[in-house]
Amino acid sequence: MEDEPKADICRSIARREFLMRAGSGTVITALGGGLYFLSDALTSEAQAMTRDDGRPRVPPGQRVIESLKPMGGEPGDPSRANYSLKIHGEVETPLQLDFAALMAMGATTVRSDVHCVTGWTVLDAKWTGVTIKKLAEAAGLKPTARHVVFEAAAGYTANVRLREALGDDVMVAWDLDGQPMRRPHGAPVRAVVPDLYFWKSAKWLTGIRFTQRDQPGYWETRGYHNHADPWKEERYG
Amino acid sequence: MADGEPPVVAAKPERRRKIRWRQWLRALHRDFGYVAVGLTLIYALSGLAVNHIADWDPNFENYEREFVVSAALPLDDDEAAAKIVQDQAGIVGEPVDVYRVTDDLLEITFDDRTLHVTLGAGKVYEEGQEPRFFLRAANWLHLNRGKQAWTWFADGYAIVLVLLATSGMFMIPGRKGLMGRGAVLVGLGVAIPLGYLMYVGSP
Repeated sequence: MEDEPKADICRSIARREFLMRAGSGTVITALGGGLYFLSDALTSEAQAMTRDDGRPRVPPGQRVIESLKPMGGEPGDPSRANYSLKIHGEVETPLQLDFAALMAMGATTVRSDVHCVTGWTVLDAKWTGVTIKKLAEAAGLKPTARHVVFEAAAGYTANVRLREALGDDVMVAWDLDGQPMRRPHGAPVRAVVPDLYFWKSAKWLTGIRFTQRDQPGYWETRGYHNHADPWKEERYG
Repeated sequence: MADGEPPVVAAKPERRRKIRWRQWLRALHRDFGYVAVGLTLIYALSGLAVNHIADWDPNFENYEREFVVSAALPLDDDEAAAKIVQDQAGIVGEPVDVYRVTDDLLEITFDDRTLHVTLGAGKVYEEGQEPRFFLRAANWLHLNRGKQAWTWFADGYAIVLVLLATSGMFMIPGRKGLMGRGAVLVGLGVAIPLGYLMYVGSP
Protein backbone atom coordinates (compact mmCIF):
# COMPACT_ATOMS: atom_id res chain seq x y z
CA MET A 1 0.00 0.00 0.00
CA GLU A 2 1.13 3.52 -0.74
CA ASP A 3 -0.02 4.92 2.59
CA GLU A 4 2.50 3.03 4.70
CA PRO A 5 5.71 4.75 3.52
CA LYS A 6 3.95 8.12 3.89
CA ALA A 7 2.98 7.25 7.46
CA ASP A 8 6.62 6.30 8.14
CA ILE A 9 7.85 9.61 6.76
CA CYS A 10 5.26 11.51 8.83
CA ARG A 11 6.33 9.66 11.98
CA SER A 12 9.96 10.39 11.22
CA ILE A 13 9.27 14.10 10.69
CA ALA A 14 7.22 14.24 13.88
CA ARG A 15 10.07 12.57 15.78
CA ARG A 16 12.58 15.01 14.30
CA GLU A 17 10.36 17.94 15.22
CA PHE A 18 9.98 16.61 18.73
CA LEU A 19 13.74 16.18 19.11
CA MET A 20 14.38 19.69 17.77
CA ARG A 21 11.87 21.22 20.14
CA ALA A 22 13.15 19.23 23.09
CA GLY A 23 16.72 20.25 22.18
CA SER A 24 15.91 23.93 21.89
CA GLY A 25 13.93 23.77 25.14
CA THR A 26 16.95 22.30 26.89
CA VAL A 27 19.26 24.98 25.46
CA ILE A 28 16.90 27.79 26.53
CA THR A 29 16.60 26.33 30.03
CA ALA A 30 20.37 25.99 30.28
CA LEU A 31 20.87 29.58 29.10
CA GLY A 32 18.29 30.73 31.63
CA GLY A 33 20.19 28.93 34.37
CA GLY A 34 23.41 30.55 33.15
CA LEU A 35 21.85 34.00 33.24
CA TYR A 36 20.54 33.31 36.75
CA PHE A 37 24.03 32.28 37.77
CA LEU A 38 25.59 35.40 36.24
CA SER A 39 23.02 37.70 37.82
CA ASP A 40 23.85 36.16 41.16
CA ALA A 41 27.20 37.96 41.04
CA LEU A 42 25.41 40.59 43.13
CA THR A 43 24.86 38.04 45.88
CA SER A 44 28.39 36.65 45.83
CA GLU A 45 29.89 40.16 45.93
CA ALA A 46 27.72 41.15 48.88
CA GLN A 47 28.37 37.88 50.68
CA ALA A 48 32.03 38.83 50.86
CA MET A 49 31.14 42.00 52.81
CA THR A 50 30.80 42.44 56.55
CA ARG A 51 28.67 45.01 58.35
CA ASP A 52 30.02 47.40 60.97
CA ASP A 53 28.48 45.24 63.68
CA GLY A 54 30.47 42.25 62.45
CA ARG A 55 27.56 40.39 60.91
CA PRO A 56 27.73 39.32 57.25
CA ARG A 57 26.15 41.82 54.86
CA VAL A 58 23.82 39.18 53.46
CA PRO A 59 21.90 37.05 55.97
CA PRO A 60 21.76 33.29 55.32
CA GLY A 61 19.32 32.07 52.67
CA GLN A 62 19.03 35.49 50.97
CA ARG A 63 19.69 36.41 47.33
CA VAL A 64 20.55 39.99 46.39
CA ILE A 65 18.37 41.70 43.79
CA GLU A 66 18.42 45.23 42.43
CA SER A 67 15.15 46.79 43.56
CA LEU A 68 12.33 46.29 46.02
CA LYS A 69 9.44 44.04 45.07
CA PRO A 70 5.89 45.13 45.95
CA MET A 71 4.82 41.96 47.85
CA GLY A 72 1.12 42.82 47.99
CA GLY A 73 -0.98 43.79 50.96
CA GLU A 74 -4.28 45.63 51.31
CA PRO A 75 -3.56 49.21 50.21
CA GLY A 76 -4.50 52.28 52.21
CA ASP A 77 -5.24 55.81 51.03
CA PRO A 78 -2.08 56.91 49.15
CA SER A 79 -2.80 60.64 49.47
CA ARG A 80 -0.44 62.80 51.50
CA ALA A 81 -3.23 65.38 51.86
CA ASN A 82 -5.42 62.94 53.80
CA TYR A 83 -2.60 61.35 55.76
CA SER A 84 -2.73 61.04 59.52
CA LEU A 85 -0.36 59.19 61.87
CA LYS A 86 -1.48 58.38 65.39
CA ILE A 87 1.17 57.92 68.09
CA HIS A 88 -0.38 56.47 71.20
CA GLY A 89 -0.26 53.84 73.93
CA GLU A 90 2.43 54.18 76.59
CA VAL A 91 3.15 57.87 75.94
CA GLU A 92 2.58 61.02 77.97
CA THR A 93 1.09 62.99 75.06
CA PRO A 94 -0.60 61.02 72.30
CA LEU A 95 -0.04 62.68 68.94
CA GLN A 96 -2.04 62.86 65.73
CA LEU A 97 0.23 64.11 62.94
CA ASP A 98 -0.78 65.06 59.43
CA PHE A 99 1.79 64.82 56.66
CA ALA A 100 3.06 68.39 57.09
CA ALA A 101 3.44 67.92 60.84
CA LEU A 102 5.31 64.66 60.27
CA MET A 103 7.74 66.32 57.86
CA ALA A 104 8.19 69.19 60.32
CA MET A 105 9.56 66.71 62.87
CA GLY A 106 12.78 66.79 60.87
CA ALA A 107 13.70 64.56 57.99
CA THR A 108 16.58 62.10 58.10
CA THR A 109 17.93 60.18 55.14
CA VAL A 110 19.35 56.74 55.82
CA ARG A 111 20.72 54.02 53.57
CA SER A 112 19.90 50.51 54.72
CA ASP A 113 19.55 46.97 53.43
CA VAL A 114 16.18 45.28 53.09
CA HIS A 115 15.68 41.58 53.75
CA CYS A 116 12.43 39.93 52.72
CA VAL A 117 11.35 36.66 54.32
CA THR A 118 10.72 35.22 50.84
CA GLY A 119 14.47 35.26 50.23
CA TRP A 120 15.42 38.48 48.46
CA THR A 121 17.64 41.26 49.74
CA VAL A 122 18.12 44.80 48.40
CA LEU A 123 21.26 46.66 49.38
CA ASP A 124 21.48 50.36 50.16
CA ALA A 125 17.86 51.40 49.79
CA LYS A 126 17.71 55.15 50.51
CA TRP A 127 14.92 56.13 52.89
CA THR A 128 13.88 59.63 53.91
CA GLY A 129 11.65 60.09 56.92
CA VAL A 130 11.65 60.62 60.65
CA THR A 131 13.01 58.15 63.18
CA ILE A 132 10.76 56.35 65.65
CA LYS A 133 13.12 57.57 68.35
CA LYS A 134 12.30 61.19 67.50
CA LEU A 135 8.55 60.48 67.43
CA ALA A 136 8.77 58.67 70.78
CA GLU A 137 10.60 61.63 72.31
CA ALA A 138 8.00 64.05 70.97
CA ALA A 139 5.16 62.00 72.46
CA GLY A 140 6.96 61.47 75.77
CA LEU A 141 7.61 57.76 75.99
CA LYS A 142 6.65 56.27 79.36
CA PRO A 143 9.20 54.01 81.08
CA THR A 144 6.56 51.26 81.08
CA ALA A 145 6.79 50.90 77.26
CA ARG A 146 8.49 47.69 76.13
CA HIS A 147 7.16 47.01 72.65
CA VAL A 148 5.96 48.85 69.56
CA VAL A 149 3.05 47.88 67.34
CA PHE A 150 2.98 49.38 63.85
CA GLU A 151 -0.62 49.82 62.75
CA ALA A 152 -1.51 50.03 59.09
CA ALA A 153 -4.38 50.07 56.62
CA ALA A 154 -6.98 47.29 56.69
CA GLY A 155 -6.04 46.25 60.23
CA TYR A 156 -2.48 45.12 59.45
CA THR A 157 -0.14 45.19 62.44
CA ALA A 158 3.49 44.25 63.10
CA ASN A 159 5.18 44.08 66.50
CA VAL A 160 8.78 45.11 67.23
CA ARG A 161 10.73 45.20 70.49
CA LEU A 162 11.13 48.75 71.77
CA ARG A 163 14.93 48.54 71.95
CA GLU A 164 15.04 47.61 68.26
CA ALA A 165 12.39 50.15 67.25
CA LEU A 166 14.48 52.99 68.73
CA GLY A 167 17.49 52.21 66.52
CA ASP A 168 19.01 55.10 64.56
CA ASP A 169 17.89 53.69 61.22
CA VAL A 170 14.34 52.69 62.21
CA MET A 171 11.90 55.23 60.85
CA VAL A 172 8.67 56.11 59.18
CA ALA A 173 9.64 56.94 55.62
CA TRP A 174 7.93 58.91 52.87
CA ASP A 175 10.65 58.87 50.22
CA LEU A 176 12.41 55.86 48.74
CA ASP A 177 15.52 56.26 46.59
CA GLY A 178 14.88 59.97 46.14
CA GLN A 179 11.28 59.56 44.93
CA PRO A 180 8.03 59.85 46.88
CA MET A 181 6.96 56.48 48.25
CA ARG A 182 5.10 54.61 45.51
CA ARG A 183 1.72 52.99 46.09
CA PRO A 184 2.89 49.35 46.00
CA HIS A 185 5.50 50.21 48.61
CA GLY A 186 3.03 51.77 51.05
CA ALA A 187 2.42 55.38 49.95
CA PRO A 188 2.35 57.84 51.48
CA VAL A 189 4.24 56.54 54.53
CA ARG A 190 5.62 53.19 55.65
CA ALA A 191 7.65 51.91 58.57
CA VAL A 192 11.25 50.84 57.95
CA VAL A 193 12.92 48.37 60.33
CA PRO A 194 16.02 47.36 58.37
CA ASP A 195 17.42 44.65 60.63
CA LEU A 196 14.27 42.55 60.79
CA TYR A 197 12.49 40.72 57.98
CA PHE A 198 10.61 43.24 55.93
CA TRP A 199 7.05 42.28 56.92
CA LYS A 200 7.80 44.16 60.16
CA SER A 201 8.14 47.35 58.09
CA ALA A 202 4.41 47.98 57.79
CA LYS A 203 3.25 49.68 54.59
CA TRP A 204 0.42 52.28 54.54
CA LEU A 205 1.29 53.12 58.14
CA THR A 206 -1.49 54.73 60.18
CA GLY A 207 -0.33 54.39 63.77
CA ILE A 208 2.48 53.62 66.18
CA ARG A 209 1.35 52.13 69.46
CA PHE A 210 3.77 51.74 72.35
CA THR A 211 2.77 48.86 74.64
CA GLN A 212 3.84 47.26 77.89
CA ARG A 213 3.28 43.74 76.62
CA ASP A 214 4.12 42.12 73.35
CA GLN A 215 1.20 41.85 70.93
CA PRO A 216 1.95 39.60 67.95
CA GLY A 217 0.82 41.18 64.69
CA TYR A 218 -0.84 40.05 61.46
CA TRP A 219 1.80 37.61 60.18
CA GLU A 220 3.08 36.72 63.63
CA THR A 221 -0.32 35.23 64.45
CA ARG A 222 -0.31 33.36 61.13
CA GLY A 223 2.74 31.24 61.67
CA TYR A 224 5.60 33.68 61.07
CA HIS A 225 8.27 34.30 63.67
CA ASN A 226 7.51 36.77 66.42
CA HIS A 227 10.96 38.38 66.27
CA ALA A 228 12.10 37.92 62.63
CA ASP A 229 15.89 38.28 62.81
CA PRO A 230 17.24 37.53 59.29
CA TRP A 231 20.68 36.49 60.60
CA LYS A 232 19.07 33.80 62.74
CA GLU A 233 16.69 32.92 59.90
CA GLU A 234 13.72 33.54 62.17
CA ARG A 235 11.22 33.11 59.37
CA TYR A 236 8.57 30.89 60.89
CA GLY A 237 7.29 30.56 64.45
CA MET B 1 -54.57 -31.61 43.87
CA ALA B 2 -58.26 -31.62 44.82
CA ASP B 3 -60.62 -29.15 43.25
CA GLY B 4 -61.25 -26.00 45.29
CA GLU B 5 -58.00 -26.18 47.23
CA PRO B 6 -55.66 -23.26 46.84
CA PRO B 7 -52.49 -24.04 44.92
CA VAL B 8 -49.46 -24.65 47.01
CA VAL B 9 -46.83 -22.05 46.33
CA ALA B 10 -43.31 -22.66 47.48
CA ALA B 11 -42.31 -19.92 49.90
CA LYS B 12 -39.54 -17.83 48.38
CA PRO B 13 -36.68 -16.90 50.70
CA GLU B 14 -37.00 -13.21 51.71
CA ARG B 15 -34.44 -11.19 49.78
CA ARG B 16 -32.86 -8.26 51.55
CA ARG B 17 -32.84 -5.12 49.51
CA LYS B 18 -29.28 -4.16 48.81
CA ILE B 19 -28.41 -0.63 49.76
CA ARG B 20 -26.74 1.00 46.79
CA TRP B 21 -24.49 3.23 48.87
CA ARG B 22 -21.91 3.66 46.14
CA GLN B 23 -24.54 5.07 43.84
CA TRP B 24 -25.49 7.60 46.50
CA LEU B 25 -21.85 8.41 47.10
CA ARG B 26 -21.31 9.04 43.42
CA ALA B 27 -24.36 11.29 43.25
CA LEU B 28 -23.18 13.21 46.30
CA HIS B 29 -19.65 13.49 44.94
CA ARG B 30 -20.93 14.65 41.56
CA ASP B 31 -23.21 17.36 42.98
CA PHE B 32 -20.70 18.66 45.50
CA GLY B 33 -18.19 18.67 42.65
CA TYR B 34 -20.43 20.88 40.55
CA VAL B 35 -20.91 23.28 43.45
CA ALA B 36 -17.15 23.41 44.07
CA VAL B 37 -16.15 24.27 40.47
CA GLY B 38 -16.45 28.07 40.80
CA LEU B 39 -14.74 28.31 44.15
CA THR B 40 -12.01 25.85 43.13
CA LEU B 41 -11.14 28.01 40.12
CA ILE B 42 -11.01 31.11 42.31
CA TYR B 43 -8.89 29.51 45.03
CA ALA B 44 -6.59 27.60 42.65
CA LEU B 45 -5.81 30.49 40.29
CA SER B 46 -5.44 32.94 43.13
CA GLY B 47 -3.28 30.41 44.98
CA LEU B 48 -0.92 30.20 42.01
CA ALA B 49 -0.83 34.00 41.77
CA VAL B 50 -0.22 34.66 45.45
CA ASN B 51 2.25 31.79 45.82
CA HIS B 52 4.63 33.67 43.53
CA ILE B 53 4.17 37.07 45.13
CA ALA B 54 7.95 37.50 45.30
CA ASP B 55 8.06 37.45 41.50
CA TRP B 56 5.19 39.76 40.63
CA ASP B 57 2.39 41.86 42.07
CA PRO B 58 -0.63 39.54 41.84
CA ASN B 59 -3.14 42.33 42.46
CA PHE B 60 -1.97 45.33 40.45
CA GLU B 61 -0.07 46.29 37.35
CA ASN B 62 2.22 49.09 38.51
CA TYR B 63 3.74 51.74 36.32
CA GLU B 64 5.73 54.93 36.60
CA ARG B 65 7.00 57.59 34.22
CA GLU B 66 8.71 60.96 34.33
CA PHE B 67 8.15 63.92 32.08
CA VAL B 68 8.67 67.67 31.99
CA VAL B 69 5.80 70.11 31.50
CA SER B 70 6.51 72.51 28.65
CA ALA B 71 4.58 75.47 30.13
CA ALA B 72 5.71 77.38 33.20
CA LEU B 73 3.76 76.34 36.30
CA PRO B 74 2.32 79.02 38.61
CA LEU B 75 3.84 78.85 42.09
CA ASP B 76 0.92 80.58 43.79
CA ASP B 77 -2.07 78.71 42.35
CA ASP B 78 -2.07 74.96 43.03
CA GLU B 79 -5.32 74.28 41.18
CA ALA B 80 -4.09 76.06 38.05
CA ALA B 81 -0.76 74.25 38.17
CA ALA B 82 -2.57 70.93 38.60
CA LYS B 83 -4.81 71.69 35.61
CA ILE B 84 -1.80 72.41 33.37
CA VAL B 85 -0.04 69.21 34.45
CA GLN B 86 -3.20 67.15 34.02
CA ASP B 87 -3.82 68.53 30.53
CA GLN B 88 -0.25 67.84 29.44
CA ALA B 89 -0.37 64.33 30.88
CA GLY B 90 -3.65 63.69 29.08
CA ILE B 91 -5.41 62.54 32.22
CA VAL B 92 -9.19 62.70 32.19
CA GLY B 93 -11.20 63.13 35.40
CA GLU B 94 -11.05 65.16 38.56
CA PRO B 95 -8.19 64.70 41.01
CA VAL B 96 -9.09 63.38 44.45
CA ASP B 97 -6.93 66.11 45.94
CA VAL B 98 -4.19 68.60 45.17
CA TYR B 99 -1.71 69.02 48.00
CA ARG B 100 1.29 71.33 48.41
CA VAL B 101 3.86 69.13 50.14
CA THR B 102 6.65 71.73 50.24
CA ASP B 103 7.17 75.15 48.64
CA ASP B 104 8.31 73.49 45.44
CA LEU B 105 6.51 70.14 45.51
CA LEU B 106 2.88 69.63 44.50
CA GLU B 107 1.09 66.31 44.73
CA ILE B 108 -1.93 65.58 42.54
CA THR B 109 -3.76 62.41 43.55
CA PHE B 110 -6.23 60.49 41.37
CA ASP B 111 -7.94 57.22 42.25
CA ASP B 112 -5.43 55.15 40.30
CA ARG B 113 -2.34 57.36 40.10
CA THR B 114 -0.37 60.13 41.80
CA LEU B 115 1.57 62.92 40.10
CA HIS B 116 4.44 64.45 42.09
CA VAL B 117 5.27 67.79 40.52
CA THR B 118 8.42 69.83 41.12
CA LEU B 119 6.94 73.24 40.32
CA GLY B 120 10.12 75.22 39.62
CA ALA B 121 11.55 72.72 37.16
CA GLY B 122 8.18 71.52 35.82
CA LYS B 123 9.27 67.93 36.42
CA VAL B 124 6.53 65.37 36.94
CA TYR B 125 6.96 61.92 38.43
CA GLU B 126 3.86 59.85 37.84
CA GLU B 127 3.19 56.53 39.50
CA GLY B 128 0.04 54.47 39.42
CA GLN B 129 -1.52 51.06 39.38
CA GLU B 130 -4.30 49.22 37.60
CA PRO B 131 -6.03 46.36 39.38
CA ARG B 132 -5.65 43.04 37.57
CA PHE B 133 -8.90 41.81 36.10
CA PHE B 134 -10.25 38.78 38.00
CA LEU B 135 -7.10 38.15 40.06
CA ARG B 136 -7.56 41.22 42.26
CA ALA B 137 -11.04 40.01 43.23
CA ALA B 138 -9.99 36.34 43.45
CA ASN B 139 -7.04 37.17 45.73
CA TRP B 140 -9.28 39.35 47.86
CA LEU B 141 -11.62 36.42 48.36
CA HIS B 142 -8.84 33.87 48.80
CA LEU B 143 -7.13 35.91 51.51
CA ASN B 144 -10.53 36.62 53.08
CA ARG B 145 -9.90 40.36 53.17
CA GLY B 146 -13.62 41.03 53.45
CA LYS B 147 -14.09 38.84 56.54
CA GLN B 148 -17.73 38.69 57.74
CA ALA B 149 -19.91 36.31 55.73
CA TRP B 150 -17.09 35.16 53.46
CA THR B 151 -15.53 33.33 56.40
CA TRP B 152 -18.60 31.07 56.41
CA PHE B 153 -18.44 30.44 52.67
CA ALA B 154 -14.73 29.68 52.89
CA ASP B 155 -15.32 27.27 55.79
CA GLY B 156 -18.15 25.64 53.85
CA TYR B 157 -15.91 25.23 50.82
CA ALA B 158 -13.20 23.61 52.96
CA ILE B 159 -15.76 21.13 54.29
CA VAL B 160 -16.96 20.39 50.75
CA LEU B 161 -13.36 19.66 49.73
CA VAL B 162 -13.02 17.21 52.63
CA LEU B 163 -16.27 15.53 51.53
CA LEU B 164 -15.05 15.35 47.92
CA ALA B 165 -11.75 13.81 48.97
CA THR B 166 -13.25 11.22 51.29
CA SER B 167 -16.18 10.29 49.04
CA GLY B 168 -13.80 10.04 46.08
CA MET B 169 -11.82 7.34 47.86
CA PHE B 170 -14.80 4.99 48.13
CA MET B 171 -16.48 5.59 44.78
CA ILE B 172 -14.86 2.81 42.83
CA PRO B 173 -14.70 -0.82 43.98
CA GLY B 174 -12.07 -3.36 43.03
CA ARG B 175 -8.48 -3.05 41.93
CA LYS B 176 -8.77 0.53 40.75
CA GLY B 177 -10.40 1.54 44.03
CA LEU B 178 -9.13 1.73 47.55
CA MET B 179 -8.26 -1.97 47.52
CA GLY B 180 -5.70 -1.49 44.77
CA ARG B 181 -4.28 1.43 42.85
CA GLY B 182 -6.39 3.89 44.87
CA ALA B 183 -4.60 2.95 48.09
CA VAL B 184 -1.20 3.50 46.48
CA LEU B 185 -2.19 6.93 45.17
CA VAL B 186 -3.77 7.98 48.48
CA GLY B 187 -0.58 6.84 50.20
CA LEU B 188 1.47 8.90 47.75
CA GLY B 189 -0.65 11.98 48.44
CA VAL B 190 -0.15 11.61 52.17
CA ALA B 191 3.56 10.82 51.78
CA ILE B 192 4.34 14.01 49.81
CA PRO B 193 3.74 16.51 52.66
CA LEU B 194 5.15 14.11 55.26
CA GLY B 195 8.27 13.50 53.18
CA TYR B 196 8.76 17.22 52.61
CA LEU B 197 8.43 17.97 56.33
CA MET B 198 10.97 15.27 57.12
CA TYR B 199 13.32 16.59 54.42
CA VAL B 200 13.26 20.25 55.54
CA GLY B 201 13.14 19.33 59.20
CA SER B 202 10.44 21.81 60.19
CA PRO B 203 8.27 23.18 61.64
